Amino acid sequence: MLDPFFIWLETTALSVWVREATEVYAFPSILSLHTIGMGFVAGMSAAMNLRILGVAAFVPLMEFKRFFPVLWAGFWLNAVSGVVLLIGYPTKALTNPMFYLKLVFIGLGILCLRSIRKSVFSDEDLDFQAVPRRGRLWAGASLACWTGAIFAGRLLAYTYSKLTTI
Amino acid sequence: MHEFQAWLWSTLGSIHIVRPFMTSAWGWPICESLHFVGLSMLIGCVGTFDLRLVGMAKRVPIAAMHRLIPWGIAGYVINVITGSMFLVTTPDQYIYNPSFHFKILFMIIAGINVAVFYLAAFGQVKTLGSGVQAPLFARVIGGASLFLWTGVIVFGRMLTFYRPNPCNGEPEGFLSVCLK
Repeated sequence: MLDPFFIWLETTALSVWVREATEVYAFPSILSLHTIGMGFVAGMSAAMNLRILGVAAFVPLMEFKRFFPVLWAGFWLNAVSGVVLLIGYPTKALTNPMFYLKLVFIGLGILCLRSIRKSVFSDEDLDFQAVPRRGRLWAGASLACWTGAIFAGRLLAYTYSKLTTI
Repeated sequence: MHEFQAWLWSTLGSIHIVRPFMTSAWGWPICESLHFVGLSMLIGCVGTFDLRLVGMAKRVPIAAMHRLIPWGIAGYVINVITGSMFLVTTPDQYIYNPSFHFKILFMIIAGINVAVFYLAAFGQVKTLGSGVQAPLFARVIGGASLFLWTGVIVFGRMLTFYRPNPCNGEPEGFLSVCLK
């Protein structure tokens, strides 16, 4: 049913380039950027969540706001590189339920980040106090979501049933 | 070098404990997933500390930020364990892979960078309180750490594309070299 769409996308110049260009700056570099972005978005979220949960309690919590731009840069790097990878192999991803699971985890991970921003970082007095229970729950959920996204993303390489339609 | 590689290959290849697990349907994928979780912990926790050294979030005392480091080390340990499991399962795929050589090289330099930091800089910077910029020497170490661990990720990702293959009359694979 989606076959005509996959065939159209897989014959576009960009898609063919992603799959077939043998230069090291093509597919291997896109994949490397996707992994670096993952390290920053999942890793910096993890560092912030650990602080909310009580690790490194003498770090003024509000200062973690300064790392948000780095975290979001990682996220957007991955959104862009992820879309390019998807254009290269649309059938492989979109016919695999694991891909949708990954998207759900990422969506929930972003929801957690936004909720933490609203519920934890809105209270300037929180710098050195224990974070209220609600904020800690969001932090725990965020750790679980990014771990889930990493697992689902990694498993994409082992669970696909069809590589391309063309 | 050739003899050393052959010795490594036979020695690592003789370790059989993890092979049944790694060749099972879920063994390798689970270890790969854990390897990426460990990578994120390392880059997230060590990288946040490095960014403070370089000059971000200066209101954070360096000693306070340093409490994140054990979590970065935990990520590193996860990756040494899972990485060793890959290595002893298919040693030829790494020992003869130029990308693996660069990955190990970057890990060694990153290790030296860590040693230099604790021997020559940490004693001084751990006393730096809120709002104080780290000295240039420590800032350079922090920047080098970010660069080196990012390099380790890149060469780790490149492993796939520089895999040696036996080339039994078949053409060379995508960016791969023949194992002579």
